[in-house]
Amino acid sequence: MKLSYRLRLLIVLISLGVLTGGGLLLKHLLLPDSFGVYGPYRANAIAEAALVPIRHGTNASCFKCHAYEAGIHKTGRHQTISCEFCHGTYMDHVENGRKIGTLPVKREKQITTLCLRCHNTEIKARSELVIKTVAMPNHLADQNVKLTHNCNQCHHVHAPLKYIIRAKQMTRWTEAGR
Amino acid sequence: MDAVNGTATMLISNYVFPNDLHVHWSMMIVLYPYITGLVDGAFIIAALYYLFDIKSLKPLARFSLLFALAFLCCATLPLLLHLGRPERNLNMLLTPSPSSAMAGFGYIYAVSMGVLVFIVLFVYRPDLVVLRDTSKGLLKLLYRAITFDSRDLSTYSLALDRKIIRFLVGIGIPIAAVLHGYVGFIFGGVKAIPTWSTPLMPVIFLFSACLSGISAIILAYIVIRKITGRSIDSDCIKTCIKTLTLFFILAFAFEMLEVFSHSYLKSGYHHMVEGLLNGPLASSFWLWQVKICSVIPLVILGVMAFFRMGRAMYHFWAAVVSAILLLQVLIMRWNVVIGGQLMSKSARGYTEFHPQWFDKEGILAVIIVMAIPFMILFVLSRIFPFWTPDNETTVT
Repeated sequence: MKLSYRLRLLIVLISLGVLTGGGLLLKHLLLPDSFGVYGPYRANAIAEAALVPIRHGTNASCFKCHAYEAGIHKTGRHQTISCEFCHGTYMDHVENGRKIGTLPVKREKQITTLCLRCHNTEIKARSELVIKTVAMPNHLADQNVKLTHNCNQCHHVHAPLKYIIRAKQMTRWTEAGR
Repeated sequence: MDAVNGTATMLISNYVFPNDLHVHWSMMIVLYPYITGLVDGAFIIAALYYLFDIKSLKPLARFSLLFALAFLCCATLPLLLHLGRPERNLNMLLTPSPSSAMAGFGYIYAVSMGVLVFIVLFVYRPDLVVLRDTSKGLLKLLYRAITFDSRDLSTYSLALDRKIIRFLVGIGIPIAAVLHGYVGFIFGGVKAIPTWSTPLMPVIFLFSACLSGISAIILAYIVIRKITGRSIDSDCIKTCIKTLTLFFILAFAFEMLEVFSHSYLKSGYHHMVEGLLNGPLASSFWLWQVKICSVIPLVILGVMAFFRMGRAMYHFWAAVVSAILLLQVLIMRWNVVIGGQLMSKSARGYTEFHPQWFDKEGILAVIIVMAIPFMILFVLSRIFPFWTPDNETTVT
């Protein structure tokens, strides 16, 4: 087939146009139906997300039954910490207002591990002003207790300074330099 | 207890937000503006010849187009390597969000790629038509495809080609400028990093891009011609060095003006930026970027401009100054990309960056990524001859 150079260029140009059109068509085919209704995302995702069962409760949900722990937790330094943070997910424990399972309770060395998740000096990115951090076992040695001690032998896990403050009141003992 | 107290003091005085502790955008993101910058500068040289009719650049015009093409092929490579799931970049292009600056880069990149490919095809068409007849097999098929299967080299069609080239280069200049200006804009758009988030970023990036690209073209031209035992066109090198001098003065002036205006205004994060430039970046910014790689080339370029020197001497110093300026731009990218991330938005502390050899974004990966464009350039040289035969005759 003998085509003039101009005609060939025209064909190239038209092919480019067709390619662009094809690209736009492909884009249209690949996009999910509800994309772009509200913004650059799938509008149906909102309804789908709403159908995802709620897994978490609030501290208030826990305190409804655990009144004793609530009394301590609300007065201590840990009052802003979520119950689920240490105990696990609410929905594994309660469903439709009925108990469906027991959340695991941390014991002995597990307690120390749990505490150090936040209170470890090794986590350099935390300011001492915001969260008290310690190095283990230096902290135990500094406090003159056995190196085998777990955190909860001195600190109440819900109100960490509860026993410490009580002990100070009873002994009228103050830390050196404070 | 002292140890604990000591650490505590350090935590307060050198407090870095947890998300600032690690340098997330590492060496691949240093290469990204560097490679796009090389494309831009190379394109400027081609544009000066094809659009602004600067005749002395003729020996370099075709080569710089291929150089730009080879590097443009790899411009997104560092970005994709940086991503954990690189294939998802297509999602971003399919469903662009006005709040996503990266999608815009994808489109600008695609357009500039298309324009550059067509410029190369039209510039090379007369040669490709000749090569089509002398080649065999697959290569012949390729030549047929890229010449649009036309052997027409009539005066009329060549004039048409010239018009098309002028048009494409004409729209190519703003596209190239936007391509790299956009890279600067993407960095400038990161509000979390005070040293990036300035409207001056696209300007600084654009000038340093032209600087690095022109340097790369000069160095590559001299090295390739020397190695292959061909003559070097002095007029061409002189024009390149003059253009390079202009862009270098602009780039260096803007880099310094940014620092000076920050230190004069003492705005926002100034105390942190000052600490950064005089602390973690003291050596890479003041010593390497400014003193060694900017002041020394400035002196060399001044000597080259004001004093007469022999041709061989001029070529030697042109190569040396280009090499130093290539390093200058690389260090500048490093200081911007890595340096910017060394200070925390907490305004209290700095972090550290240690390049690894075998990291996903390590030094070895950098070497490989920088080698790929040269491999592509070699392959391109097999298809598109770098030099026109009349180069040899016109060069004295």
